[in-house]
Amino acid sequence: MRIELEDVRHIYAPGTPFEVEALRGVSLAVEPDEALGIVGGTGSGKSTLAQHLNLLLAPTSGRVLVDGADARTLKGVELRRRVGLVFQFPEAALFAPTVEEDVAFAPRRLGLDEEETRERVSETLELLGASHLVGRAPHALSGGEKRRVAIAGVLAMAPEVLVLDEPTAGLDPATREDLLGVVRALRDGGTSVVMVSHDLDEVAEVVDRVCVLEKGELLAVGAPETVFYAHLVTAPSTVRTASILRGPYPEVGRPVRFKDTLAALKGLLEGRG
Amino acid sequence: MNNPGDEGARHDGPPLVSCENLTFSYPGSEGTALAGVSFELGTGEYVGVVGPNGGGKSTLLRLLNGLIRADSGGVRVGGLDPATEPYQVRKRVGMLFQNPDNGLVAPFVEDDVAFGLENSGVSREEMRERVGTAIRAVGLEGFERREPHTLSGGEKQRVALAGLLALDPEVLLLDEPTSMLDAAGRAEVLSKLGELRGARTVLHVTHHLDELLGANRALVLNAGRLVADVPPERLVSDAELLRENRLALPATLRLAAGLGLGAAKPRTPEELAAAVLRRVKLGVEAR
Repeated sequence: MRIELEDVRHIYAPGTPFEVEALRGVSLAVEPDEALGIVGGTGSGKSTLAQHLNLLLAPTSGRVLVDGADARTLKGVELRRRVGLVFQFPEAALFAPTVEEDVAFAPRRLGLDEEETRERVSETLELLGASHLVGRAPHALSGGEKRRVAIAGVLAMAPEVLVLDEPTAGLDPATREDLLGVVRALRDGGTSVVMVSHDLDEVAEVVDRVCVLEKGELLAVGAPETVFYAHLVTAPSTVRTASILRGPYPEVGRPVRFKDTLAALKGLLEGRG
Repeated sequence: MNNPGDEGARHDGPPLVSCENLTFSYPGSEGTALAGVSFELGTGEYVGVVGPNGGGKSTLLRLLNGLIRADSGGVRVGGLDPATEPYQVRKRVGMLFQNPDNGLVAPFVEDDVAFGLENSGVSREEMRERVGTAIRAVGLEGFERREPHTLSGGEKQRVALAGLLALDPEVLLLDEPTSMLDAAGRAEVLSKLGELRGARTVLHVTHHLDELLGANRALVLNAGRLVADVPPERLVSDAELLRENRLALPATLRLAAGLGLGAAKPRTPEELAAAVLRRVKLGVEAR
C-alpha cells in the first residue's frame, strides 16, 4: 500500500482568533514496505501529519491518496483498519477489564469469529512480548507493559501501514530496544511503518528514509545519511559527531547507525592513531 | 544495597521528605509495586530516580503527594502524612505527570498555568506576574491564548511545567519532565530545572541518565526495591549496576566507551569529537 500526501495544508480552528496553520502544503509519499521516520522540533507538525495518513484529520486543502485513489472515496472504517494509528501515550485509551478483551476489541468489531479473534490476540501479544499479560487488568500494568498492550490493540487489526506517534516516550532503554525490534520485524514482514519521534538516536537505528518537518513545512526527505548530514540540527548524536570529524578526516564517511559510527571512528583511531 | 555517596549533599535538621519501609501493591496485580523502600530527602537536594518500567518510580511519586496510600510503612513530607493530609501536603509539593494530557485542565494556556495559583490566596496582580514569568521560563511566549488541546506533546509538557513553576512549591516531583521534548527543548527545560538546584527540593524521574549528571544522588528502583542510592557519576561508570537495572548510557557516552574514551565522559557530540581528535593527534605525534 502506498500513501501519498499531495500539497496537504491543515489549519486548526480556521476562521477563529485561535487559528493555527499546522501543515503548510506538504507533499510526501509513504512507500510500500518501508520504515519512514518523521522528525522535527516540538510543534513542527509531526503528529498532525501522522493523523492525516488515515484521515483522522482531513486536510484543509490538498489530498491524501491511497494507491493512487483519493482516500475520501474509501470507507473510513476500512481505511483505519488498513492504516493503523497509535497515538502518543496510547495506553490512556485502554479500557477493557483484561488485556485479552482490550486487544480483542478491534478484531471483534471487524467481524472476525471467536477463534480468529483469539488467534489474532495471541499472535499480536506474542509479537510484542506481552503474552504473559493476557489475563491481567490493564490498569495494574506498568507503563511499558501498557504501551505494548495498546500497540497490540492496533496491530490486531493487521494493518498494512502502522503509524506510531512517539512510541517510545517514557519507556526504559531496554523496553525501547525491544519495541524498535518489533518495528524492524514488522517492516521486514511487509508492513510499512511510519515512526514519529523526537528521539533522533532511535530514528537513526530503524528507518529506511527520514523526513524533516519545520514549522509545518517539509524541509527534507530521503535516505538518512543524506538528510541528517545536510540538517545537523535534526541529526542524531552519531551523525553530529562524525560530521565534525569527517572535515579533517574524510575517511570517516557518513555513518548513521550506532554500529557503523563506532566502526568508522575505530577505523579512524586505528588508521591515524 | 550501595551506600549513599560521601560526596552527596549533607543537610542539617530533619529531612524534608522521608519514606520508611514503604510497601504498596495495586489491587488486581500479582506483584508488589514497592517493597520496603526507605530513604530521606534533605531540603534543597536534587535527586534522580531511575530504573526499568514497572520498577516503582511513578508509584513512589504518587505516594509522596497522597494520590495513593501505602499498604504499610510511612511517608512524611514536612512532618505530614500525605495519605491523611493530602491538601496540606499538596500546598508544599507540586507534581508533573508523565503524560502531559493528565495535567491540563483550562481552556487557554495562561489559565492553565494560573490554575494552581487560583486557590492559593495570591493577589491577582502577583498571579499575573508569576504566570508571565513561568510562561517565559519555558519558552512559550506567544502561546498564552492558545488552547491546550491544539498544542503538540512537547508544548503541552512545557505548559504543565510552567504551571508548576508558577506555583513554586517547596518540593517538585517530576515524572519524566522531558519525555516529549526534542533535544533543544530538553536542554532548555533542564537548564530551568538546574536553576532550582539548592533552592528547591526536587525528585526527578527519568530514563535519560545524562539528565542526572548534576544531581546530588540517584535512586535506582527495580521491581519495587530500592537497589542503589549513589552519586550519579558512580552510577554511569558502574556497568554492572546499569545492566542489572536495564539502564543504558546515552549514545555519546556509549560511543566514547566503545572507543576507549570513556574517561573523557563527553556529554555532547562536540565533546566526543574533540576527544577523538586529541587521541588522533597524540597517535600521530607518537609516530
